[in-house]
Parts: sequence; C-alpha cells; structure tokens
Amino acid sequence: MLSGMSIVCFAASYGVALILEITRLVFRSGIRGALMMAFAGAGLVAHTLFLAHRAATTAGLPLSSTQDWYLLAAWALAATYLYLTAYHPRTNVGLFLLPLVLGLVAVGTLLTDAEPFARESASRVWGVVHGISIIAATVAVFVGFAAGLMYVGQTWRLKRKRPTAEGMRLPSLEWLQKTNSRALVVSMVFLGVGVLSGAILNVIHRGNQVPWHDPLVITTVLMLAWLVGAVMLSVLCRPVRHGRKVVYLTVFSFVFLVIALAIWLFSETQHVGGQQGAEGKAAVVWAPRPSEGGPV
Amino acid sequence: MTIQVLGLSHHTAPLAIRERLAVGNTQLGCALGALRARYPQIEFVLLSTCNRVELYAAAEHEDLPLDQILSHFTGGRGVDRAAVTPFLSHRGEREAIVHLFSVAASLDSMVVGEPQILAQVKQAYEAATLQNCTGPLLHAAFQGALKAARRVATETTLHQRRVSIPSVAVADFARSIFERFDDKCTLVIGAGEMAEETLRYLRDEGVCNVQVVNRSDCRAADLAERWNGRALPWSRLREALAEADLVISTTGAGEPIVTAAEFAGIEAVRYERPLFILDLAVPRDFSPTIGERPGVYLYSIDDLRATCEKNLALRDRELPAAKRIIEAEADRFMAEMHHRATGPLIRQLREEWHRPKEEELARLFHRLPHLDDRSREEIRQSFDRLLNKLLHPPLESLRDHARHGIPHSLLEALAKLFRLRD
Repeated sequence: MLSGMSIVCFAASYGVALILEITRLVFRSGIRGALMMAFAGAGLVAHTLFLAHRAATTAGLPLSSTQDWYLLAAWALAATYLYLTAYHPRTNVGLFLLPLVLGLVAVGTLLTDAEPFARESASRVWGVVHGISIIAATVAVFVGFAAGLMYVGQTWRLKRKRPTAEGMRLPSLEWLQKTNSRALVVSMVFLGVGVLSGAILNVIHRGNQVPWHDPLVITTVLMLAWLVGAVMLSVLCRPVRHGRKVVYLTVFSFVFLVIALAIWLFSETQHVGGQQGAEGKAAVVWAPRPSEGGPV
Repeated sequence: MTIQVLGLSHHTAPLAIRERLAVGNTQLGCALGALRARYPQIEFVLLSTCNRVELYAAAEHEDLPLDQILSHFTGGRGVDRAAVTPFLSHRGEREAIVHLFSVAASLDSMVVGEPQILAQVKQAYEAATLQNCTGPLLHAAFQGALKAARRVATETTLHQRRVSIPSVAVADFARSIFERFDDKCTLVIGAGEMAEETLRYLRDEGVCNVQVVNRSDCRAADLAERWNGRALPWSRLREALAEADLVISTTGAGEPIVTAAEFAGIEAVRYERPLFILDLAVPRDFSPTIGERPGVYLYSIDDLRATCEKNLALRDRELPAAKRIIEAEADRFMAEMHHRATGPLIRQLREEWHRPKEEELARLFHRLPHLDDRSREEIRQSFDRLLNKLLHPPLESLRDHARHGIPHSLLEALAKLFRLRD
C-alpha cells in the first residue's frame, strides 16, 4: 500500500515538474522556476523516503531487487536534474531528463513482484558494489543520452540560423560536449567495475563458472567493449574529441543500454531479476536468489 | 515639494546639439559642484549620455527657478542658450517621474531595452550623491527608478531581446556555441565599425585574446592596440583562421576572401573544433558553403537581420507590460511623495496631543504616589495606545487622499480643527 502510494506520489511530482517544463515553451511566469524546483524536490524527498522504507522493510540485501534498481537509477537521474536546474535555471534540461526519470519509474512500477537478492555475507559487499556500479553507469549513459539529444537540437538550431525559441533555451554546445565526454568516461569506469564485481560474485558462489553465454552478460560485456572503444577513440582522435561524433557515441551507448535492459526484462537470462530459463535455475548467476539461500 | 526635469534627447535634438551640452565623466563633478554652489537648497542629478543630457532638479520647500538654472548650466557649458532652447523639453512632477523611470528601464532609449542605460543612470546618481547634490527627494526618485527598471527587466522579456546585429550574434548564437570566452581566440578580419561593436559585446562575455588581420598593417595595428590584441599581417590569415574560435569579418573585398576550397585546407588542422564566423561584409567574405562544414557556424548580416526583426517585434509586444509597470511604480512614488508633504502637519498634530498627555500623566502619577515603576510604565503605554488609536483615522484619511495628490483641503481642515500653526 505504502509503496504504491509513494510511487504515485513522487511520479506525480516529477510529472507536474515535467508539465511545468513544457509550459516554458508556451508562456512566461515568474514563479514557475520555483514551482518546478519545489515539485521536483518534493518528488525527490518522497522518492528518497520510499527507497529508505524499502531498504528498511524488505528482506534480503537492501534495495537489490530489479524494481529497486530502476527506482534507484531514476532517483539518481532526478537528483541530476535538480542539480542542473539549480545551476542552469534558464535551460530546459528537464525536457530531456524528466521523461527518462518517469520512464525508469514506470518500468520499476511494472516490476513490483521482483524478488530481492538474498542476504549473504560473502556476497554482500560485491553485490552492493555490483549494484551501485551498474546503476551509476546507467545514470551516466542516460545523462550522456539527454546531453546528446540537446546537442543535436542545439546544432540543428544553430546550423539553420534560428533564434532561441521562446522558453526553449538549451546549454551551449561546449558544455554539452564536455558533459557527453564525461558521461562516456564515467559510464565506462562504472560499467567496468560492475562487470568485474559481477564476475567476482560468480567466482565466490560457483568457482570459475561465469555464464559468458548468457545474452545479458554478452550484451553487457559488448557494451563495456563499446564504451572502452568509444573513450579510446575520443581520447586519441581529435575530431571525435572536438566534434559532434562524441555525441553519437553516447547515443549509441544508450541504444546498447536499452538492448541490455530489454534482454534483462524480456529474454531468458540467468541474471537475477531477469526471465529465468530452464537451465537458468541451476546456473550460476551474478548474485544468489533468496529462495535457494545461496548460489544458484 | 517639486521634482522637474529639463533636457534634450535623441527624440528632440540632433547629435550636433546634444554633443554641445554633453558633460563628460571628468567634467561631471565640476558641473554639479557649480550648480550646488549656486543653488544650495536644490537637489540635482545630471544624466549625460550620448543620447541625452538631462538635469533632474528637486526642492522640498521652494519653487525651482528653472529659467535661471538653465542659464547657469548653458553658461557653464559655454553654449548659447538660445541655440538649445528649441530642442529642450521640460517635465514636472509625475510626468518627470514617469520619464525618469522610463529612461532607467530603457523604454526611452534609441534601442529600446539596451542594458547600458541603467548603469549610466546609476553612475549619474552616484556622481551627484558624491557631490552632495542629492537629498531625500532625488534619493527616493532614483531608488524608485532603479526598482522600476529591475521590475521591467525581471517581469518582461524586453531586455532579453537583442535587436542589433552584433548583440544578436553574440547573445543568440555565439553564447549557444561556447560556454566561456576567456579561453577563446577571436580573429577580426578588416576593421569595420560593426566589428568593434561586436568586440564590445564579446569583451563583456570575457573575450581577451584578440587577433586582427587587415590588408593595411597600420589599421590592423590601430585596432589591435585599442582592443589590447595582436596585429597580424594579411599573409598569415590562414594560420590565424586555423587558430581562431570566433571570427568577425568586415572587409570591403569585392569577392570572398575565404573560399570553400581554401577553407578545406584550414579544416584539416582545425580537427572540427567549433568555429563561429560572423561575416558582416557585403559582399560576403566567406563562401556560404563553408557554413555547411561540420563544426562551422557561419552567419551573414541577412541571417541575423531576420532574428533582429523578429526580436524587435517581440520586444514591441512586451512594451505595454513594461509601461504598465512604469505607471504603477510612478503612482506609488507619487503617493509616497504626497504623503510625505503631510509629514510636518502630522508631526505638529502628534506634538499637540503629546503635551496634554504628558500633563495628564504627571497629574495622575502625582495623585497616586504609591504606584511602582512597572505600573507607571503600563499606564504610560496605555495612554500612548489610546493616543495612537485616536490619531489613526485622521492619519489614514490623509494617506488615502495623498494617493491622488497633496491633500491641501484636508490639511487645512485639520489645521483649523486642531488649531495647528501653519
């Protein structure tokens, strides 16, 4: 009951903040900025309380279910939105970030029945490291994607020599490009840590049997390889570092992420939280399942 | 109590007349000092910009001898009074206040909404204050003007709409490309006036690295010196283009000085680094196809003119709202000023009532000697409250009537009823 109410509460707050962002395109208002911050801030507080409540009351590792994972990612993205809006109050970053926040909350809401990981001391630290790293990498990819979209929009306007539209002000290309590059590096580092900690979790529970054939594992490793390649390319190749290509790299990273998330949600994977195939029940996964009380 | 403004502006006088009366920053103190010495009871602020020369004068207890003040001022400037009189305009009381507020909010500027005028009004007020030329009336008037200007700036988009080509180029386009300008290299090709105006806007944004290329080395050196930049020979144009982040081009060349093929050679060493090119030349200095290259943002006069016209139309749409703010602020100021005129009578009224109160208190305390200090204080406060309650209705009536002008009849009635001195 509380979880349902809370999700509605903070999702509604973010929704109102998004509607207020959209109205910037239509008319001016002296108090809208404050209202936007108030609604987004209230949403973030409710979101935080909800996650705290979940962490305190759910059995198993705190905030380790698939639903928690999505809601944590949404929380980090909402906090990023609040930070950017506070420091760049005239820009419309919310138009790009808030739909992503609401999307993550929506997917999280659909996964209310997902079970958390089991509480087991040996894997707890690596489980937490794994979860946090993957969430941070996801948030970085999302931020890079939003910055990439804004970059494309800003370039489109500048190339067509159009003035700034009423109520639609985007950050400068220089800022967006820097954000993109940083998002790329941050997502690579965190995804690397996430993959590594996931592998260690498997080693802890089942020796050296990492399910490299699992589609989610394959996609994640491919995504890491892509991110490493993209970062190397942007560091070594000057046109990529300066030009719009870094934007395309972050957009492709987002596509990779969406594919990985889709596999996790809809295809047969041995990873906890995903669809379990027949062999998955007995296979090594990245963390123990609660019903079996240890490695599965 | 009166406030008047006497002066001329771009609306009423040509530049030739304005510049004769204009007072430079170095002469301002001297001019104000002379006025102060001649008219010590009168408050003055002198606002002198390239578009206007206006003398604001105010006096609390006397009429303003405007005719003499004008003669004194024009005489001090060595200008024949008869030569400027036809161009002068005079406004008094509310009209003067509305004018001052409109000037500060940039509604009376040649380019409506330009931001420099507010700083100039502030400077004029501060210079007058420094010379002890301001008093309570002009303090209140100029504070009110600054407040009205701030309201117009925050409650309308008047100041956000740039209408000159250089300002649009910088505010609407260059700032959308670059986050900061202090680490960027600006290249000026040619030495047109518009290039200098653009440099002024860019300097406000933080540009400090300026390079100038001109066919005439002498003109390049002149411009570079004015902007603390570096002059380069024409032969190094390609090299300078490869290094630049912003380019302002204003040559009088009959054909493009940089063709697409030439730019391709430069592009190889730029590594797609963003390049903002403002081509202000007619005919254009840069081949238009250069703007299609990745990372290049090329704007010609025509590209920006459309934005300027659109902004002008949007600014016009904001004008009524800005004028409403000015009217409301002027009404508020005038009500306060009129209420201020009732001050002496209110003071007298309070003093007249204070005396019997004190007498009554003294008599009471004499008859009740056993009262301790706390009880005495309570009784005193009670008498004060009673007095304030009795005075409240007439004072409120005075305040209400002051909204529409100095309430002379009411003041007279109060003076008669309570036998107050004139």
